[in-house]
Amino acid sequence: MRRSLWLVGSGFSRTLSVTAAACLVSASAFAHHGAASIYDMGKETTIKATVTEYVWTNPHVELGISPSGGATTELLLELGSPPNIRNRGWSSRTVKAGDVVTVTFHPGLRGAKIGVVVKMVTADGKELRA
Amino acid sequence: MIRHLLLPATAAVVFAAAACSRPASAPAAPAHPNLSGSWVRPLRDQDVGGIPPLNEIPLTPWAAAKLKAERPAAGDNQDFANTTDPSLRYADPNGYPRISLHPMRFKIVQTDDYVYQLWEYNQNWRQIALNVPQDPDPAITWYGNAVGKWEGDTLVVDSVGYKDSTWLDARGLPHTQDLHLVERIHRMGENLAFDITFEDPGAFTKPWAAHLIFKPSPDGSMSENIYTISDELRFRERFLNQKVNIPIRR
Repeated sequence: MRRSLWLVGSGFSRTLSVTAAACLVSASAFAHHGAASIYDMGKETTIKATVTEYVWTNPHVELGISPSGGATTELLLELGSPPNIRNRGWSSRTVKAGDVVTVTFHPGLRGAKIGVVVKMVTADGKELRA
Repeated sequence: MIRHLLLPATAAVVFAAAACSRPASAPAAPAHPNLSGSWVRPLRDQDVGGIPPLNEIPLTPWAAAKLKAERPAAGDNQDFANTTDPSLRYADPNGYPRISLHPMRFKIVQTDDYVYQLWEYNQNWRQIALNVPQDPDPAITWYGNAVGKWEGDTLVVDSVGYKDSTWLDARGLPHTQDLHLVERIHRMGENLAFDITFEDPGAFTKPWAAHLIFKPSPDGSMSENIYTISDELRFRERFLNQKVNIPIRR
């Protein structure tokens, strides 16, 4: 089941989808914390957005995005730990601020502007799972 | 032409015979099984053993009460935001054997006098001194004082001196400074088995055992994955909107 909730744009197309998902979460996220007390693991949101920051750090690599296409982080997403996602094809140079990506994530509970990434598609079409 | 071919062959036979006649240079058969290499316990695998369910562990009233008061960061009743897990709240070392439950791999380096266990997570390690007696008054440390000896194909490890602030697993299973572990480490086919007996009169009414299976992992360079209190505070400030005041452990 997948339904589109928004299609908004000011020269920047956005989609937000909610998927009732049998969710697979990266083992790396579980290694640091359980996800269910922070994120809605029953939902997946897919959104096209501009990268505002990409920080290669422990415990989780951080991906800041702006759905409105700005330079300020509007949603802060976590990935796995650096060595774990490196094993899945990510590196510290996978994306940079200003890149446009399509990212799928479990959103934060209670409307928190955070999420845990399931996968990301880069501007050149490369898909990476977190 | 034939003579030219025969000469090197003959020389090789003579050299081999000479080598066999010199006991000092003959490679010695390994005295003990080779445990060295990289090992991993994949979380999703069903055949890797584990720590028993909590209701099967003979907790003392003190341990049961302590366990009930803990707030683990994952699993049943998880409360990451307010967790009491010392490895997250303070970025304390995981301690043993909890470090072996982490999904990242470890490496074993084996010498005549020591067996070293090197965990990729947080670059933690422990040493098992071989063929020496246990210290009757050991230092209290995160990874204990471990001594070992070979019993046939099994490395038997006795360890004490564990700092009591660590959890034995991510559920919050407690122990005291009197924790005494006896481990029987042995190859099981291509895998590596750890049969661990836990004794701790303050925490357990009788000894109990856990069985952990590790699978071979591609060897090679270990990655760096060091996790610090500053990492944790950053994460909590950014993702949980928590203020970064560090509570004092009492």
